[in-house]
Amino acid sequence: MTTSHVENESHHPSFMLYVVVAAILFVVTIVEFLLIWDKVGIDDDLGASKIPILIILSAFKFAVVILFYMHLKFDANLFSLLFVSGLALGLIVGIALLGIFFTFEGNPREYALANAVPYVHEGEGAEHAGEGGESPSAGPVDLEVGVVGDALQFDISAMEASAGSEITLTFNNISTVNQHNLVVVQAGTKDEVATAGIAAGADKNWVPPGDERVLFNSSLLDPGGSEVLRFTLDAGEYTFVCTFPGHNITMFGDFTVSP
Amino acid sequence: MAHTVQPSPGDHEYTTTGLNHRKLLMWVFLSSDCLFFGALIATYMVYRGQSLNGPYPVDIISVPITTISTFVLLMSSFGMVQALSATVRNDQKAIQMWLLVTAALGAVFIGFQIYEFNAFKNEGLTLGVNLFGASFFTLTGFHGAHVTVGIIWLLGLYVAARKGRLGPATSLDVEIMGLYWHFVDIVWIVIFTLLYLIGGFDAGPTVFPGGSG
Repeated sequence: MTTSHVENESHHPSFMLYVVVAAILFVVTIVEFLLIWDKVGIDDDLGASKIPILIILSAFKFAVVILFYMHLKFDANLFSLLFVSGLALGLIVGIALLGIFFTFEGNPREYALANAVPYVHEGEGAEHAGEGGESPSAGPVDLEVGVVGDALQFDISAMEASAGSEITLTFNNISTVNQHNLVVVQAGTKDEVATAGIAAGADKNWVPPGDERVLFNSSLLDPGGSEVLRFTLDAGEYTFVCTFPGHNITMFGDFTVSP
Repeated sequence: MAHTVQPSPGDHEYTTTGLNHRKLLMWVFLSSDCLFFGALIATYMVYRGQSLNGPYPVDIISVPITTISTFVLLMSSFGMVQALSATVRNDQKAIQMWLLVTAALGAVFIGFQIYEFNAFKNEGLTLGVNLFGASFFTLTGFHGAHVTVGIIWLLGLYVAARKGRLGPATSLDVEIMGLYWHFVDIVWIVIFTLLYLIGGFDAGPTVFPGGSG
């Protein structure tokens, strides 16, 4: 077994070198920023070719920092070997992961495109709420409920009616890809009912048959389908929900029936 | 051949590699941290563009603001090498000053990150809202945690420097801290390039079948 003393006098670079390295890092970052800043215009000329350029520039910064600021250029080779091993292993794992995802099951982005939902800024969606909600009245009430595009959401978040009034509820599934139903349940039971609905299966419209928590339900509508429900309700708090598996998390609203 | 090695209490440390154990340990840790961040970055790249609902990066990411915070972090690395250089020279005033400057620049970077996270939250991006939010906050959050640990470590060294405990004999304390700090810096170089310069303009899917209701 051989032993040796630790060498503590590694050759540290000079002050000037540190300043030069800092200047290089500074300048390269500015160049990177100019490459992608639309007001400069280089962005458009380069198109997709700016991606490899950006990766090379950042790899250069990376190398400069580990070589000079972390002294790998001047220090023992074992440190470099250790670090580069971890770095290489990390890179290989990353590339392998990307490779698996993008070749094994096709491009996930196609799935994303087919199921995407437009982004609505916070607050903008509020105007939808209550749009279809009618004010309570003793006489017959016409209600209409739709779906927000292909999103898992009804286009209204609340409905109101009076106890005993004849409610005519039209449910339009305007989605182009999703099946939906509309189930009126006792308030607070939507998730339990949906879970029971999964057990009942698609044949039963994802609604548990004979469940006392369920008051009324539409059938399971294909994309573009529509159904009119006629019913009356006692005063109380109810929830309308789509019990297609998973939809109940986001696709529901309050149904208030006043005395 | 029995040849026992007695650790001696003096300046010399006995090793089988000829390298200081603490420094070796730090490099092993940094090497493993490459895998940690490699996995998080790869996850972000796999999920890139797969979010089914917004906010998407182009809706909320501000590249100019993050370029400034990137400068701050890069310059903190310069402060770190100056702190080490001052330690080797035994320039006590400079050690304290550069340690504080480095910690302060790190704190400014964290301040930018807190501002950014808060702005994103107000725009509706949370950890759970979509794949972008989940992978973005996990990756940049863990990086921010690394920086925060670094700041606390720097402040600890500053206290040691105030008590006059840092100098040529203990320069390794500062050097090892520096390795950690620069590593956090280079991880940010990668994150900045991939998440901001390249990925910061990612929009949501442009085609919405059937339009919005």
